[in-house]
Amino acid sequence: VNEVSYIILLPAIAGLFAYLIRRLRSEFNFIGFVLTLFVSFKLFLLTRTQVISYSIATVPPFNFRFYLDSLAGFIVLFNAIFAFLIWTYALRSMSKAEGENMYHLYLALTLSAANGVVVSGNFVLLFIFWNVLVFSLYGILLIGKTDSSFAAYKALKIIGISDYVMLLGIAIIFVTTGHTDFPVDPRLPLDQPWSIVAYILIMVGAMAKAGSMPLHTWIPEASKVVPASTMAYMPGSLDKLLGIYVLIRTSFFVFDITHSIAIRLVLMIIGSVTIIGAVMMAMVQKEAMRLLSFHAVSQVGYMLLGIGTGIPVGIAGGLFHMINNALYKSSLFLSMGSVEYRTKTTQLDKLGGLGVKMPFTLVAFTIAALAISGIPPLNGFFSKWMIYQAIIDLSGEIPIWPVFLVAAMFGSVLTLASFLKLLHSVFLGAMPQKLGRVREARFEMVVPSLILSMLCVVFGIFAWQVPLARLIKPALPFAITETGAWFPLLATGLIIIGIVIGLIIFLFGTAFRGRRDRVFVGGEIMDNEEARITGPDFYSSVHTMEILEKSYQFGEEGTFDFYNYLTGIMHGFAVLFKKIVDRGFELFYLSLAKIVRNFGKMISSLHTGELYLYLSWILIGFIVILLLLGFAGVN
Amino acid sequence: MAEDRCAEKEIRKMISRNFTLDNYGIFLGTLFMLIGLISFIYALATIRQKGHRLEYYLVLTLIVVSGVAAALSKNLLFIYVCWEVAAFAVWRAVGFYRRGGDLQNAMTVFIMNFTATVLMLVGILILYVRNATVVIDELSAMDTTAIVLIVLGIMVKSVILPLHTWLVPAYRAIPSAIGGCLAGVTENLGVVLFLRLFTSTALMPPDAAMFISWLAIISSIIGGGAALFATNLRELLAYSTISQVGFILLGFAVGGKYGAIGGLLFIVAHALAKSGLFYGVGMIEDVTGKDDLRNIGCLVRLSPTLAISMALLFGSIVGFFPLIGFFAKLYVVFAAVEKTAYLGVAAIVSAAFTVLYNSRFSQELFFNPKMCELVPRLKRPSTTGTVLVFVLALISIMLGIFFYQPIAFLMGGSLP
Repeated sequence: VNEVSYIILLPAIAGLFAYLIRRLRSEFNFIGFVLTLFVSFKLFLLTRTQVISYSIATVPPFNFRFYLDSLAGFIVLFNAIFAFLIWTYALRSMSKAEGENMYHLYLALTLSAANGVVVSGNFVLLFIFWNVLVFSLYGILLIGKTDSSFAAYKALKIIGISDYVMLLGIAIIFVTTGHTDFPVDPRLPLDQPWSIVAYILIMVGAMAKAGSMPLHTWIPEASKVVPASTMAYMPGSLDKLLGIYVLIRTSFFVFDITHSIAIRLVLMIIGSVTIIGAVMMAMVQKEAMRLLSFHAVSQVGYMLLGIGTGIPVGIAGGLFHMINNALYKSSLFLSMGSVEYRTKTTQLDKLGGLGVKMPFTLVAFTIAALAISGIPPLNGFFSKWMIYQAIIDLSGEIPIWPVFLVAAMFGSVLTLASFLKLLHSVFLGAMPQKLGRVREARFEMVVPSLILSMLCVVFGIFAWQVPLARLIKPALPFAITETGAWFPLLATGLIIIGIVIGLIIFLFGTAFRGRRDRVFVGGEIMDNEEARITGPDFYSSVHTMEILEKSYQFGEEGTFDFYNYLTGIMHGFAVLFKKIVDRGFELFYLSLAKIVRNFGKMISSLHTGELYLYLSWILIGFIVILLLLGFAGVN
Repeated sequence: MAEDRCAEKEIRKMISRNFTLDNYGIFLGTLFMLIGLISFIYALATIRQKGHRLEYYLVLTLIVVSGVAAALSKNLLFIYVCWEVAAFAVWRAVGFYRRGGDLQNAMTVFIMNFTATVLMLVGILILYVRNATVVIDELSAMDTTAIVLIVLGIMVKSVILPLHTWLVPAYRAIPSAIGGCLAGVTENLGVVLFLRLFTSTALMPPDAAMFISWLAIISSIIGGGAALFATNLRELLAYSTISQVGFILLGFAVGGKYGAIGGLLFIVAHALAKSGLFYGVGMIEDVTGKDDLRNIGCLVRLSPTLAISMALLFGSIVGFFPLIGFFAKLYVVFAAVEKTAYLGVAAIVSAAFTVLYNSRFSQELFFNPKMCELVPRLKRPSTTGTVLVFVLALISIMLGIFFYQPIAFLMGGSLP
């Protein structure tokens, strides 16, 4: 049972020692991360057969307790896996960077807090760890490639405020039910105003963390200035795991959203808008990290869509997609980080042809790119397939189900298009002369991304045997029945045969008959650098489409950024409070003071020091008193 | 003769039971003494004023003593005396530098505070006439006029809108060491009296308590909004105080055990944080000679320890774990929602303003890149002062991590 505390304490303590004793930093961190991974694995195995639940302290009115079921067990395991892999990567990528020591401490603290969130069996305890994550997120975002304080500031404001919104939801649950423990049995139906409000408020907190629209804008902002390992760790993997974990906990272990069509519709609409909106933005990006960050947002849409269906296969698909996304998204960020490490740029027009120089990175990136695009037999396809099935199953319940299906499928197509552009721009095409000396990234950097990509393959081909049977199905409180048919092993075999046939045709066809020549335009010979076809403008026609041009313009100007409206409104109120309310009171008191002063002046002017005037006053006073007594009827 | 003896007995009764050592009193008294002690050390390390040193330390002592005495007392008349002493001390403190504007500010502060104490005295007298006692525990009947007068006094003392206007001029002029004490001790006197007289006795009618809850949270929201727009460091601290003390009063006004505990924890969080921030701001002014938020920045390079300590204190005000402000806010929000969800919503709006103005403050103060070029030309802030701010941040963290201890201690406090 103590192992539960170990996964919270171990990384934090080891991280603190590593921070304080800089000479042994790697050793301490290694011990911390590896031991946490080991204990997490042990807990994962334990939770296959039993639920761990015990009270750790009672601080009236809260009963703080840990609760680990199979859902928490597998999330804890993945927290540890991601943390270990990304720490290994950062060991090299952040080497000698400014704030390196602090960076490793934040990684460790983040893992501690993330584990704390997952093992909490009480919303208040969960909120405590959730709050630590804001702190560590702010800290880690401050350690940027360039000045990242604005990105950190923006994240702090969005997540900080949404956390308070979440706290209000927790308080409402407490006031209504008398406790904040979960799981709740029987689950609370969403048929009362208080329960709907509480659910929505908690949902806001979870969605801000996961990076769903409209609370996502801190992610693209951060992508411009923070290192790849930060992006892979926080918005790439851990934040998604935690945000979606809390959403699933709240939706199916505290409340019961399956009978609330309105709430499910809200989730699905947000999911669909997130998928399409973010992927459209991703398509036209010219900087690799920013492009990936929009995909990190877009993928949350699938999870929301899956959960929103309220159908077991969809919920399982959403949960599966959460893990899949963390795998390929981290791999993509890390691979792109490797490219940046060697080339010192992520601008797409300055890259190209790196596949030859960085073959392992190319393999890792390509697998992850195909996985995120939903290409069979990779994991991304399978989870999306489950979500599609769930949407189709809604046909009898929600008439607009085709809209969601089209959004999900169209989103997938656009994702593929976007990643083809990225693949071409970075790894294929002609290489700029400047990059002639680029080498493959360091071993410690390539291995984590390769492992993550290999997991994408395993989770796709052996989807039934590994993730679904061992992770997803035991984690959910209902049976999952498949309506469609998909046999990944058979499909993989057929795909491999297809690829082999294609290769044969290619090799015996045009492979060796290529002709190299100089490029000319209008008779003018162009040099190779000039003739290079770069990728950034692949979809510029989409960007300039009449119907979309304005939308893109608004998107780039921040018109759809909820953050701008929120801060704008609050700043507006701030001006009102300072300039009108506060100033108004000040003026009121000044006027009062003026009246008193003038009254004093008037009285003062009556005191001239002349005796006859004073005698007159006495006389007048005497008459007034007599009159008053007369009116009062005194005899 | 018999009449004289009776009068003497009455007077003895009025000045009897001046001190009560209950958990709340010990808790607040210890806090105020701690703030006083740190302010003294800070003053010893940083004061550069040649003359009037005796006055400086006398004023500081009076503020601390009046705060500690008021925290430990349940005798309204004695509390009134403490308020008067505090009003006098704050008046001297604000006018300490004897600059033209400061003297004007000192007069404003004195008139407002004096009015508060007079209002309170009339309220106490009405209560005495109704109950024949001025000891809080012996009161059995309230009077609407007395409630109104005493609450008005509390509002002035604890800077609740619309009677808050003295605070900004006071903060602008006060020496930073005494400012820390003003923020950490004197401003709490009003809300401490509210806790003693109304929350602990439950003598206030529920409607009135609800009205004051709304007044408190509106004050908190407006203070937070004004802080977001403030550009002067001291002005920002002043509006922040208005906002946070409003939150404390909300906790006490919604009442119940959790409201009271939330409010008390908030007093601790706010006192530690605001006094630390005052010292920090004082040191920044010493180093840069400026107090405009837009002209100062890059503190993170000038003194990382001071910057991190101040950031932690900001974090405590915002309510981040593992700082004590987290639990304070948690309890107040829970207590407010228990009363009505709308109050909870208002509390969250106030918390949102706190997040915004504190993050803006941190952003400008620590990371303003335009100011980084100035850093090499500036001297380092006082080491002792920096250590003191760090100690305050450390105490905030320790109380946050071992939150169970203060909460358990307060659970044994004095509620009906």
